[in-house]
Formats: sequence, C-alpha cells, structure tokens
Amino acid sequence: MSEILLSAKSLHKSFGGVRAVRDVSYDIPQNSVFAIIGPNGAGKSTMLNLISGVYQPDTGSLTFAGADMAGMPSYRRVRLGIARTFQKIRLFKQLSVLDNVVAGFHIHHDIPAWQYLIHAGAFRRDHARCREEAMELLSFMGLARRHDTLAGSLSYGEQRMLEYARALATRPKLLLIDEPAAGLNAAEVDTLLDRIQTTRKRDVTVVIVEHNMELVMTVADRILVMDYGQRLFEGIPSDVQKDPAVVAAYLGGELT
Amino acid sequence: MSDAVAVGPAYRSSRRRLAFLFAALVIAVLPLLLTSGYWRTNLTLCAINVLLAIGLDFILGYAGQLNLGQSAFYGLGAYVSTLLITKFGVHFWAAFAAGVAFAGLAGMILSLFAVRLRGHYLAIASLGFAVIVHQILLNWISLTQGPLGIYGIPPPPAIAIPGLPPIEFSNQVALFYLVSAFALLAYLLLDQLVRSPIGEALTAVREDEISAQSLGINANAWKVFAFGVGAAVGGAAGCFYATFVGTLVPDAFFITESFTILAMVIVGGMGTLIGPVFGAILLTLLPELLRDIGDLRLVVYGLALTLVVLFMPGGLVQGWELLRRKFAGARVAGGR
Repeated sequence: MSEILLSAKSLHKSFGGVRAVRDVSYDIPQNSVFAIIGPNGAGKSTMLNLISGVYQPDTGSLTFAGADMAGMPSYRRVRLGIARTFQKIRLFKQLSVLDNVVAGFHIHHDIPAWQYLIHAGAFRRDHARCREEAMELLSFMGLARRHDTLAGSLSYGEQRMLEYARALATRPKLLLIDEPAAGLNAAEVDTLLDRIQTTRKRDVTVVIVEHNMELVMTVADRILVMDYGQRLFEGIPSDVQKDPAVVAAYLGGELT
Repeated sequence: MSDAVAVGPAYRSSRRRLAFLFAALVIAVLPLLLTSGYWRTNLTLCAINVLLAIGLDFILGYAGQLNLGQSAFYGLGAYVSTLLITKFGVHFWAAFAAGVAFAGLAGMILSLFAVRLRGHYLAIASLGFAVIVHQILLNWISLTQGPLGIYGIPPPPAIAIPGLPPIEFSNQVALFYLVSAFALLAYLLLDQLVRSPIGEALTAVREDEISAQSLGINANAWKVFAFGVGAAVGGAAGCFYATFVGTLVPDAFFITESFTILAMVIVGGMGTLIGPVFGAILLTLLPELLRDIGDLRLVVYGLALTLVVLFMPGGLVQGWELLRRKFAGARVAGGR
C-alpha cells in the first residue's frame, strides 16, 4: 500500500449530549478515493468538518502528511493542501463564476507587497495567470461559457460543479467533497464521476461523503462506514456489502 | 461558441488613467469657477466627506462589516492631531500621521468586536463605540475642553518650494487643493487595493465567511485589516476637518454623523468606490442647494434618501448603469 496522507486516531466529537463521532480511526492512502458512507446522522459531515478544521476534535488526533493538525484553524489547513466543498452549497453568489474560482487562488498569489498598492509587472502577470488558470478549471468542469454569469444564477448542478472548481483552485493534495451528487441528474452524476477520477489521476487524494451508492462503489478505493458516530466498517468496496454489521445498519436487520 | 472564451473584464488601466486626469482637472478648476468663500467651503467639505465615505465603504461595502462607528474615527483623528498640535506643539504632519494611526488603531480594536459579532449586533456594538468616544470628547474637559471646544487651530504650515512663492494653507483654495489631492490619492490607493487579491479576499469574507476560510482566507485577519484601513482614512478626514474649520467641538462627531456617512455610501452605491464619492458630494451639496426652501429642505432630503433606497438599492452607480444601458439600447435600436 502506498503512503498514508491522512491519519485519524480515535477521534471524538460531541455537541452537547450528542456524540457525533465516537472513537473513529482510519488511514487514507495517498492518491486514493476514500468514501465515507452511512445513514443520516451517522457523523459523516462532522468527520469532514473535523478534517477541514471547521470543528476541532474533543480528543484524538489528525495527522496530515506527517503534520499534526491539532488546533489548526481551517484557513491554515488549506495551505497544507486540504480543500473542500459543502453539503449545502456555499458559493459567493453575488460574484461572477470566474471571480468565484479566482478567489480560490488566495494562497497562491506571487506579488510583492508594494504592488498591491501600485499594480506593476508582477501584479499583472499574476492577475492574468490566475484568470487563465481559473478558466482552465472552469473548462474542466464544463462551465467556461458561464464565466461571466453571477454564481447565484447558475443551475443547481452547475453550482455544484463551480464549487468543485473553486476548491481545486487552492491546488489541494486532499479534496473533501460533501455529498457532491445530491440534487444532480444522471448525466451530471456521470460527469462528476469522470471529474473525480481525473482529479485523482492528477495526484489529488479525494475523500467523498455520498449517499449515491453506485457512485461510491465505482469511484472509491476504500470505504468507511459510519453509524451513530462509530466506525462500522473500513475496507475495500467489494467487502462492504458482505459485512453483516453494515447490512444491519442499512437494512435495519438484527445482528445475530 | 467555443470553450476558449476571452477573459473579461480586461485590465483597462489606460481608461482609468484618463478618468484620474479628468478628476484632477475638475479639482483644479472648481475653486477657480466657484469663487465665493461659501462655495469654496462646501468644496472642501465635499473632499473631507469623500474621505469619510470611501473609508466606510472599504469596511462596509467590501468587507461587509456593518460599521456605525465611522464618526468616532473621524473624531479621534481630529482630536488627536489637534491636541498634539495645540498642546504639545507637534508639527502638523507628524500630528496628522499620529491622528491617522490612532484612528486606524481604534478601528482595529473595534474590529475585535467584528470578529465575534456580525450584522445587527456589530452595528449596535460599533454605534456604542461611537457613543463612548463622543462622551469621552465631551466629558474629558481637562483634555478636550468638552463642549467649550478648542479654538484657533492653525492651518497646516506653509510648504516652501525653491524659486516659487511658498504655498500658504491659510489660503482657502490651497487648503482645498491639499485635501482633495489627499482624497484623490486615498481613492487611488484604495482602488488598487480592492482590485487586487486583497479586494478578492475582502469580498469573499463579505459574501460567505465559512466559504472564504475554506479557501485559505483568514476572515478575522481581513476584518481587522479592513477596519484599520477604513478607520485610518476616516481619521485623516478628521485631521483635515480640524485644521480646515479651525474649531473643534465634540458634537461635530455625534453618532448622527455616522448615519450621514452611511447614507453617503448607500446613496452612492455600496461595494463600489466611485459610488460613495458621488454620494458624499451629493449629500454635502444637496442640503446647501435646498437652503432656499428653509426647513422644508430636511423633508426633501429625507424623501430623496428614501426614494433612492426604495427604487435604486444599488445607489447612484446602479442608476448610472441603468441609464447607460438604456442609451446603449437606444443606439442599437436606432442603428437598424
């Protein structure tokens, strides 16, 4: 097995009396697609928020590319190479599609400080380069022709694709996608599947939380099944359906 | 249409340079056309209010922080620079720098509220800050002389240019040129800032903070930055106000001033820099132009404000865009 990019050790997270994540550990190998599945309320999104730094775990540790991420706020994790999309789409609705992606280059500008006040050569080169790269990302997600539109007036499916493009603009090593297929039609799901596979070929490790099992089974290398905040199963897709605990959680059967 | 679309808007710096030269020309000519002391006073007040409005717009229109404390930064800039000059004999420009820095620092302190509060709550906290500053100016009589005010504030010292007569700022026109040159410079620098990745970061924070953080943008740090810059610009306006009027009383910086500045930004068009400039000029001159109709002018003024907010929420900038589109449309239709 290849190198471990992200390693979670006995993570716990409670909200008041609700224990959203209980003692969950896993390792995510580099250049893999790691899926987290489970019934509603199983703690999948909380897990994603723990990785991206929106929440901090109560106990347990997260190690990313050898660096301990304890107490690190989300904006600093982006610099390490962790990007994400949101379950409930969060675009900059009043900005153009292009400007949404350009905002994603925030940590990659190469401009001497004084040129923020007096735009000169380096500024212009950076400006042009960011817009060029943003257009490439938009083309990749099939949104190039919409670059001038306000993000808020895109269709639902397009908004999901734009959020994906914006996350890629941070040039992540690890991309977290939270229910990307929710609300997409079949054709859009196919496009998404293709883009995830291409993303992975570009040396980006992907963590996906998703309910669409067909998508998960096709794209995932490893699957973590969660229920009631606990780890139910972790392994390769073909073993998931054979696991009695998983079947019980999904079909509501009794364990014998 | 292919996927290879030209990336717009292009970087139109030549058009900006032209607009800048035009603005400089207007500033140069205006006091020569309007020769009465009354109108020259109004012109200088316009320049001061432009500074206040673009400072607030940086905080409100770009970073999206509902700041009602701009009158406090205005007052702090005025009082700090004036006290340094009159009590400690500090040179005008050193006192000016100190006033600007103090206001900026106060803005950064107030921004610590913005880190925890948003929307209406921040508005109330910043309004409270403005009340506190006003009360301090009013009641710290040993320092500020309270409601009695400070009189006889000198104009900035003359600038000597070898071979030319020195520029005396006791001359109203010279002072107008000084303040508007500074306003123009502040505008240019802010314009460069908002069209840089810093502007992108501020706008991202305004639009969606959590989303911004997910792109590596440190939302809290950018709020502190926006407050610091916007308040410093407001402080500069205060320094100029004190030296221009020559008299300081705390009531010039009462909280109603915050709302007047807010109105300038909204009427002009939040989130654009040029809008608040025209908003500030309009709302400085409108009450003066309406002076002939006596107390009715307040009614007209209030009505105009209400109409703008109701029918042109994007302010003058939106109105201009609508007009332009209409005429552009008419041109196309006429060409057929």
